[in-house]
Amino acid sequence: MITTFAKGLEKAGVKPNQVCVPSDILFEPAIVKHFGFDYFHTTRGRAIAFGTGLKLANPALKVVPFTGDLMTVGGNHFVHGSRRNMELTVICINNFVYRKIAGKAVSIETPKFSPYSTFEEPFNIPHLGNSCGAIYTARWTALHTEELADSIAEALNKKGLSIIEILAPGPDYYTSISNVNADLVRFYYDNSEIRNDEDPRNVGITPENKIIVGKFTSKERSTFIDSYNAQLGNVLGEKFTPYGIESGKKGAGGKNG
Amino acid sequence: MKADPSGVLTGTHNLSGNQACAEGALSAGCRFLGVYPIAPALEVSERFLQRAKKASATFIQMEDEISALAAVIGASWTGKKSMTVTSGPGLSLMMEHLGLGIMLETPCVIVDVQRVGPGLGLPSQPSQADMMQARWGSHGDYELIALAPSSSQEMFDFTIKAFNFSERFRIPVAIMSDQYLAHLQEDVVIPHAEDIRLEPRRYFDGPKDSYLPFKRDEDMIPPMVDIGQGYKFHVTGLTHDDRGYPIMDEECQELNVHPLVKKIRDYTDEIIEVQEANTEDADVVIVSYGATSRAAFKAMEQARGLGLKVGSLKLVTVWPFPEERVAELADKVKAFVVPEMNLGQVVLEVERCSYGKANVFFIAHGEKGVENTDDILRAINQAVQVDNIKDGIIKFR
Repeated sequence: MITTFAKGLEKAGVKPNQVCVPSDILFEPAIVKHFGFDYFHTTRGRAIAFGTGLKLANPALKVVPFTGDLMTVGGNHFVHGSRRNMELTVICINNFVYRKIAGKAVSIETPKFSPYSTFEEPFNIPHLGNSCGAIYTARWTALHTEELADSIAEALNKKGLSIIEILAPGPDYYTSISNVNADLVRFYYDNSEIRNDEDPRNVGITPENKIIVGKFTSKERSTFIDSYNAQLGNVLGEKFTPYGIESGKKGAGGKNG
Repeated sequence: MKADPSGVLTGTHNLSGNQACAEGALSAGCRFLGVYPIAPALEVSERFLQRAKKASATFIQMEDEISALAAVIGASWTGKKSMTVTSGPGLSLMMEHLGLGIMLETPCVIVDVQRVGPGLGLPSQPSQADMMQARWGSHGDYELIALAPSSSQEMFDFTIKAFNFSERFRIPVAIMSDQYLAHLQEDVVIPHAEDIRLEPRRYFDGPKDSYLPFKRDEDMIPPMVDIGQGYKFHVTGLTHDDRGYPIMDEECQELNVHPLVKKIRDYTDEIIEVQEANTEDADVVIVSYGATSRAAFKAMEQARGLGLKVGSLKLVTVWPFPEERVAELADKVKAFVVPEMNLGQVVLEVERCSYGKANVFFIAHGEKGVENTDDILRAINQAVQVDNIKDGIIKFR
């Protein structure tokens, strides 16, 4: 998955040292080092909040929050992040079964995959993001590597908050605990159906139907920083110097700014 | 390092405590404010926003206090001095990221304009009931620095001091204000930018590939870098080694977390500041902090007028607590009188550090107004009449 991410960066023409990943998923440090981006392992579900600060304080950065507890702990951050439209490429790893603690149901879990099953409805993440204002939504399984890399590349060059949902078992811990995962990731892939441009209202994951994957929506909308500059410019007139436009200068940090 | 003049409003200004705090932040070089609005802290943000343009500072209203502090920690790593402002209910939400800020050793400032709790409490009334929460509210072992201003001028001065401590020790620093100070209008003298001393962030200057985010210098503080500059760094809120890589064992826990505590405990001489008056010959010393010390000082003068030997110990830094000084005084004095706008918090520290050698009288102060001295004087009168320490500690509620 990280390799796919790196491929996405390459396709987008983004240099890894411009990229900062705030995450609630622990990445293997050696991999981070190898690919060369900066990485923050933060609190559960709150990578978007963290990333919002990073991006606003230094608009030159490409901020890519990787999240696992996005729809539980981070639900409100996701809703407001989408509304605010800060330039963040949010990658949500939807791993359905949280096998590290057997039987624990994360809120995006679907009944079929849980040891004891769950009676709750899962979130339809692309639909939620889209209705809250996210400008790009897509879903792929971890095995749709080419499509996923394309989506990541596309999202990285979009102005605003993108959400890419990836169906994958938690990559590191799982493989050491059980070997179900290779089967599971194959299972997702085999049971998926690509429907690009599908109305996100129709892409909810249910135990009965195929998992619908694809690039669902892509639209344009004023970003947080654009709106901020427009509003302050309106009120303050010529006295106001737009923020973060000469990216890396006005917005950059103490040492180099 | 001197202050950036664009943030310094040199001159004498009539400011509320909240406004003075915003001016202090801008003077200290704070360029990022992440907040969720809450009474009675609102005017800090308002003033900051009004003045942000000139200083090229930016701000964001987040969806809650949890995310406000998350954004502040993120912003700080880009190299911008960053701050958040809140009151009790918001401070409660910030506890998760206070712990993260401590674990990631991120300089930032948290201003808590205390109001009455618990729960939603009384938003329009002052309190000092968040003192213990600031110290112990987040899980795990940690130390932090908390300053308690008592006037608009101190709101300005201590905000600068807070930023300096946060950079010096790579730690979140709390400013424990309250609703009374927040809305108190007083003259504040803001010096020229060149007269404001700022602690510069300590940057790593070695080759990019060799940067270790938690490798400590001799004084235990690891140098920083700004993100997005190709240092490829990895930091985690999990127990980590110098590289910022998670290591899940007890040995690493010790290597990681003990220094977080030690880097403050070993430098208490540099951090702790108290203001003393008439303690040399005192029989009774009033220990106070924040807005309450205004009444404490007045009560001391009134008691002296009555011929009573009363002194005052005002805590500038409440955390870390000035244990040694209180213990020294406990050897000499008959009693401490501790007025607080709560039902007994910092008094517990005074009791602890007196080791049963002096009586400790606690007063839940503020019923008749923050500046009223009646209750303190009553306690002083009681304190001078008690000759022996009975049962170690006496409380006067």
